[in-house]
Amino acid sequence: MKKHLVTTSMIALAGALSFGLISTSPVLAQTDPVAQRAIDGAKAYVKAKGLENPQLDMLLNSLYRNSLPDFAAEWKELTGIEIVSEPLGYTDIPSKIMGEAVAKTGAFDLFNDFPYTQPDAAGAGVLQPLDEYAAKYKPDFSGIPGAFVAQQYYNGKQYSFVLDGDHIMLVLRKDIVENPLAQAEFKAATGKDLGCPATMADWEEQAKFFHTKAGETRWGITFEQPLYGAMGYRSVNFSHRHFPAYFGGLLFDKDMNPKINSPQGIKAIKDLASIVKYMPEDVQGWGTPQIYPFWGSGQAYSVMSFPSIFGYGNANPKSTVKGKQLPCVIPATDAGGKMVRRAAEAAGTSYMVNAYSDHPELAYLFIQWLTSPSVGNRAIAHPKGFWDPFRKQNLGVEGIANKFSNEFLEKTMENAEFTTSLLYIEGHYEYMKILDNNLADVMNGNITAEKAAANVEKGWNNVTEDVGRDAQIDVWRKGVEAGLYVDKF
Amino acid sequence: MADVTLKAAAEPAVTKGALSRFGAWLSQERVFRWIPFVLVEGTFILVIIIPFLLTIYISFLRWRANRPFEQAQLSGFRNYEQVLTDAGFWASLGRTFYFAGTAVIFELVIGFFLAMLVHRVVRGRRIYITLFLIPMMVVPVVAGYNFSMIYLDSGPLNQLLSPFTNMLGINPRIRWLSDPTAAQLAIIIADIWQWTSLTFLIFLSGFSSLPPQLINAARVLGANKRQIFFWIELPLLKPAIVIAVVIRSMEALKLFDPVVLLTFGGPGTSTQTIAYYLWEQVWQFNKYSFGAAASILLLILFSVLIFVGIWLLIRQRNQFEQQQETAT
Repeated sequence: MKKHLVTTSMIALAGALSFGLISTSPVLAQTDPVAQRAIDGAKAYVKAKGLENPQLDMLLNSLYRNSLPDFAAEWKELTGIEIVSEPLGYTDIPSKIMGEAVAKTGAFDLFNDFPYTQPDAAGAGVLQPLDEYAAKYKPDFSGIPGAFVAQQYYNGKQYSFVLDGDHIMLVLRKDIVENPLAQAEFKAATGKDLGCPATMADWEEQAKFFHTKAGETRWGITFEQPLYGAMGYRSVNFSHRHFPAYFGGLLFDKDMNPKINSPQGIKAIKDLASIVKYMPEDVQGWGTPQIYPFWGSGQAYSVMSFPSIFGYGNANPKSTVKGKQLPCVIPATDAGGKMVRRAAEAAGTSYMVNAYSDHPELAYLFIQWLTSPSVGNRAIAHPKGFWDPFRKQNLGVEGIANKFSNEFLEKTMENAEFTTSLLYIEGHYEYMKILDNNLADVMNGNITAEKAAANVEKGWNNVTEDVGRDAQIDVWRKGVEAGLYVDKF
Repeated sequence: MADVTLKAAAEPAVTKGALSRFGAWLSQERVFRWIPFVLVEGTFILVIIIPFLLTIYISFLRWRANRPFEQAQLSGFRNYEQVLTDAGFWASLGRTFYFAGTAVIFELVIGFFLAMLVHRVVRGRRIYITLFLIPMMVVPVVAGYNFSMIYLDSGPLNQLLSPFTNMLGINPRIRWLSDPTAAQLAIIIADIWQWTSLTFLIFLSGFSSLPPQLINAARVLGANKRQIFFWIELPLLKPAIVIAVVIRSMEALKLFDPVVLLTFGGPGTSTQTIAYYLWEQVWQFNKYSFGAAASILLLILFSVLIFVGIWLLIRQRNQFEQQQETAT
């Protein structure tokens, strides 16, 4: 009996030690076959090529300068391959990639940027098609919503791996929504129950109702600072990222004729501009560095943003909205008589392989490992990372739940089903800048929505002609069929 | 085996002999005198002529960088036509002249007065000179970042201005970076802050080189300070003024840093200068041949302006030399 007890204790101790090691050391926790195939493949590649001190260079989105090195160190421990990253602002990365298309130096093995850089880069031939490697090492895209899977492909070939759910969502102030006085007053004023707005019009109605001047006392709360009814991205290079949520459909017909110069498009422009009056006065000059802290300071009732704003509100030590956030799916918009929800994938994080790399296969293996279900989960849970949850495997992961909350996770997964890409064709940045400039002009009262819609239509047609209409029609149709935009022709 | 050894031993001798012969050839007078010319011209061709010809060539292609260069096709004057009919090009150009014109006028006036004051100060002159030159020494990125903080709607500039804005009934939270008109002013102010130092320096050197004997003589003849300034100092400072105008105007037409750092050309396109426009067309939209055509057109335009500027400089210098000769 005693012997049995000792044996049992030994087994329990060994088990506990093993569990302790596994739970504290991610290096040993490679139970994910996708990650394991990448590790084994990398080791075999290094051995077969006889590489000494192998190294991969990565052009890194500087947002990840404090998180990716942890995974690079782990990869080195696992495979002996060093990942040297060169952080650069995301606005500068596309031009570096396109410069590489001309220079063909192979200085970087990997590129990390928005998925929207992919069409131009693939067209220029600077991206390595990954299909051959994918067939060999079998990545797993299960649990990933269709639009995200489709963003890994361009013109029928895989060029990237995605690891970020940057589909915009709405977050409200839960403490205000649940305030009985506020609920009663709102019901009396509008005849509606207070909660996540069903439509964009409902959101604006709430924004108007809760927009409060400094010094006012409402629902038992005295506001020393103003409470802005809404917040969202309305600055240069960002306004356009919210447009699909208001437009609610394909931006072009199947022959690449723009659909924006229509009642649906004009209404979308008006709606996007209309709610600005309930946003902070300076919002047209604000990017993430201003919007996130402002939301955290508790001076806004609602914000439409990247999902990571919810994590910021919960985790930032200076945040005053911790536990006071209500995540909502994107409100529906009237798309020509049909109410639809469209959560634009406003940015995102992709990993691509340089076609001029000396070791494209090795570079591929790193990104397969990084984006695999298990490592991807740990990345999304990383406290200093900006990866947002987007696949079903992210649910039930303790680190992710701690960072974002289960309530948020359920909502963001629901929202992910409405994810639509902005525009996944060559010339993306030019198409979108034309839209962005005209939206700004409408918001500033320089032109009417009708004029803006006409300008955008003309500008988009010019870009289509310049890039090549036939080629654009071809990739546009393929993208729509692949599910990049939720909507079909 | 013996052959191999002999061959190996003979190789360095051959190389040495060739080098010696090359050295001897170079040291010949008829060859040696051409070496500086060849080096200078070679560098000129390599650094200026070849890229310039390449730019001209690219400007006649139909090529966006989202297609390999090998697929580029000749397209005649298509790009030039597109540039000249592009409203964005003309709007950016007009805005650049507006920014440059406004900024340079303020830089000249402020720089001139600062230089005049510092020229007359005896104690602490070096400290003033150092202080006034600091903005020019600040890295543009740092200056841009500082201004982005200063221009926040709840930032220090609006706090400073609040007594005046309140008095005038204007919203004290001026949207320096998000209101189209205010953003334009913000860019101009940032440029004035940084580059007044240069005009100050040019004018200070002008004041320092004024011939004291002329001023003393005028004083002896009973001229007051105002007369000395308007009738002696100002005319003698004309070459410095022209230099300041030409140099600053040429630089201001290339206004780029504060635009990128403060507004990214926005809101909308309200602060897009021609340099920013070109950068965006080439580096954001990958329109290399369009950008090349626009660059060539701008080169022609700015060359005319620079030619006029240089002509003014030469004319002023000749007039100045004539005045000096007359004075002596």
